[in-house]
Amino acid sequence: MKFNFTWKIWLLIIVLALSLISIFGIPSFEKGIVVTSIEVNSTAFEQGLRQGQIITAIDDKPVSSLEDYSSIMGEKQFGEQSVKTIFKVQDVEIILFSPHLPNITVAEIPATNLKLGLDLAGGSRALIQAEGKKLSNDEVNDLVATVSNRLNVYGIADVNVVPVSDLSGNNFMLVEIAGATPKDLQELISKQGKFEAKIGNETVFIGGNRDIASVCRNDATCAGIESCFPSDQGGEFCNFRFSIYLSEEAAERHANITRDLSTNSTAQGNYLSEKLNLYVDDTLVDSLLISEDLRGIITTQISISGSGSGTTRQEAIDNAEASMKNLQTVLITGSLPYKLEIVKLDTISPVLGKEFINAIVIAGVTALLAVAIVVFIRYRNFKSSLALLLTSFSEVIIILGVASLIEWNLDLPSIAGILATIGTGIDQQIIIMDEAKHSKYLSIKQRMKRAFAIILGAYFTALVSLLPLLWAGAGLLKGFAITTIIGITTGVLITRPAFTDIVKKIEDK
Amino acid sequence: MPNKMEETPKQEIPTKIGNWHDRNYKLMLLIPLGLLVASIIIISSFYATHGDFFNKDISLTGGTSATIYDKENAEQLKVDLADKLEGIHTREIYDLVTREQKAIIIQTKADGETTKKVLEEYFGHELNEENSSFEFTGSSLSESFQKQLLIAILIAFFFMAIVVFIIFRTAIPSAAVIISAFADIVMTLALVDIFGMQMSTAGIVAFLMLIGYSVDTDILLTTRLLKRDEGSLNNRIMGAFKTGTTMTLTSLLAVTVALFVVSSFSVILTQIFTVLVIGLAFDLVNTWITNVSILKWYVEHKEKKR
Repeated sequence: MKFNFTWKIWLLIIVLALSLISIFGIPSFEKGIVVTSIEVNSTAFEQGLRQGQIITAIDDKPVSSLEDYSSIMGEKQFGEQSVKTIFKVQDVEIILFSPHLPNITVAEIPATNLKLGLDLAGGSRALIQAEGKKLSNDEVNDLVATVSNRLNVYGIADVNVVPVSDLSGNNFMLVEIAGATPKDLQELISKQGKFEAKIGNETVFIGGNRDIASVCRNDATCAGIESCFPSDQGGEFCNFRFSIYLSEEAAERHANITRDLSTNSTAQGNYLSEKLNLYVDDTLVDSLLISEDLRGIITTQISISGSGSGTTRQEAIDNAEASMKNLQTVLITGSLPYKLEIVKLDTISPVLGKEFINAIVIAGVTALLAVAIVVFIRYRNFKSSLALLLTSFSEVIIILGVASLIEWNLDLPSIAGILATIGTGIDQQIIIMDEAKHSKYLSIKQRMKRAFAIILGAYFTALVSLLPLLWAGAGLLKGFAITTIIGITTGVLITRPAFTDIVKKIEDK
Repeated sequence: MPNKMEETPKQEIPTKIGNWHDRNYKLMLLIPLGLLVASIIIISSFYATHGDFFNKDISLTGGTSATIYDKENAEQLKVDLADKLEGIHTREIYDLVTREQKAIIIQTKADGETTKKVLEEYFGHELNEENSSFEFTGSSLSESFQKQLLIAILIAFFFMAIVVFIIFRTAIPSAAVIISAFADIVMTLALVDIFGMQMSTAGIVAFLMLIGYSVDTDILLTTRLLKRDEGSLNNRIMGAFKTGTTMTLTSLLAVTVALFVVSSFSVILTQIFTVLVIGLAFDLVNTWITNVSILKWYVEHKEKKR
């Protein structure tokens, strides 16, 4: 007995194949490891290494796993002197000279192109609003630009900052960071970052590129930890210092303000009577003594200092470095125009994600099996029941295929959406099977046409009822609507017509 | 090709059931009507005492949900921290297969930083992304979340009603579909209130899913009854009933099985599935009593006129 494939069945097969390609990619024999994140200011970044690139060899030794990577990098004597490392990326060699391990994270090439949402893969997400103010579209776009820049300058890769709005017309800034949560995330995204350097009541300069020509970073000659001491309360205490270069205008202002100050003589030397006070968001962060010989002088280079403390020396160094980085970022990117408020902050651990997916797969498979048993009992037809199951299964694959094509991040709401689609899909296939059996005096074509009338009706009602969810709640539940819409549309356009033809074939025999 | 599968003989309804239904279908409407009135009373009294239509969890009231990957007794922790974390709720999470405790979930109205500090003190170590997850929602945001999700449901319901009207183009049958969907939602909400379930955003989304599931069978029924002319009215109802209950029962079974699997693991999916199980069960009542009776009444009335 020959089974004729109609064009509808072929269409399903082709779409299914395309979906599989979209999920798993075209099989390649390329071995290597993929760069999952890279610090934006690092040497590796400057040499052209980017996130997403695949490293195939290091120092001419092939790398195909994380073990390879750590064993090769582990043999290198980082520390005192710069070490040469050659990364082979495709056919290009990227050569690094650095005393440190490169600031990158790597992973083995993932088996699929599916992207998991933060709630499954881990990461952090924040929703931000202006405090006591409704942001306009333009304002939220400006905010997004400034915060993106800030995160960039700070060196956080793999971050997504976008404006979102909700049904009531509120605008938010959504910040999503995959992987580990940066230490100062809250500060970075919600701090207004208003930096002011004042002498007495007069502002000498503020953060941002109008007053500040450049800031020394990542250069041990003009930025770094200066000294560490045990502190009075126990624990450790470290000072940092870095240079900044003022614009001509700001330097002149400095000269004018200091011109009339008197001198205080101290044991450490002669300083001007007023200090240079540094404020971030109206909080005094440091007071710098101004050397007597700077009085009335147009100087563009200024040294900024600060400190960090911790229970151990290393912790103190880390904290001092973090505050230094923070201050540098604020000085470069300038202040945000409003006070901000974090209205939602999620930091999700990646630990449970994998088990979660397992749980969902188990739930899905057992649910499908249960359905299969009921369907078989009801129809006593092995072929149709099998066809029903396979069609539902192919629907899931097509949803996943489209999701990886549009790079949709599969989060929990998306998965709930997929489950909903399987449910409605099976329902509609049952309608088709029943219509095919009923009213035998009609031609099978007419019967299928009738089934479709019902299915289209159900499709449009489901479609319109999902639309509001695209915007409600700042779009955090969008995933549900997206996967369901993909699923039911695939159903109506591809899988249901194919299933109809399969049922026709089975019934005709 | 010879017809291998014997046609099922034309389903003639045993006249007994048919006659009984002919006599009593209007009376049967009292069942859903009673349920609906009871549900509305339950919901109103709930609203009167709680000032809201249902209990809300922190995703709707604002607060923090922390998941700590540690073996810790949920009850004990709740008692220990009751005066430090406002409105605390705890729950243990188990592995699906080994039943070993994987984590503990702590929900509180306190903000993220306070919660973290209190829990770090309690557990005696730092909580980072290796050993915990924190989700904080500000109260202003969660309030607007709730408002918007309710608006979303209203809009969805309204859109659904319009599409139903476009499909059937007659007032009473369309209204019957809409009334059944409405009754599904109201009855489900009443039961949620009786159980005292704490609804999250996911739970509200489940109500949205319910609209879709509920309307499917109603459309099937109405199409079979109004747009077909073969067989008697009762036969068509019976045909639709067979198809429709298969649909709802498979969905119900699938969701129940899924609920059973995830119940110890995911709070969100558990809630979605619970709402669906309740809703689908009520849908059986509302499609096969409410909708059938209204439609039968309508069709018989029209035939009499002719």
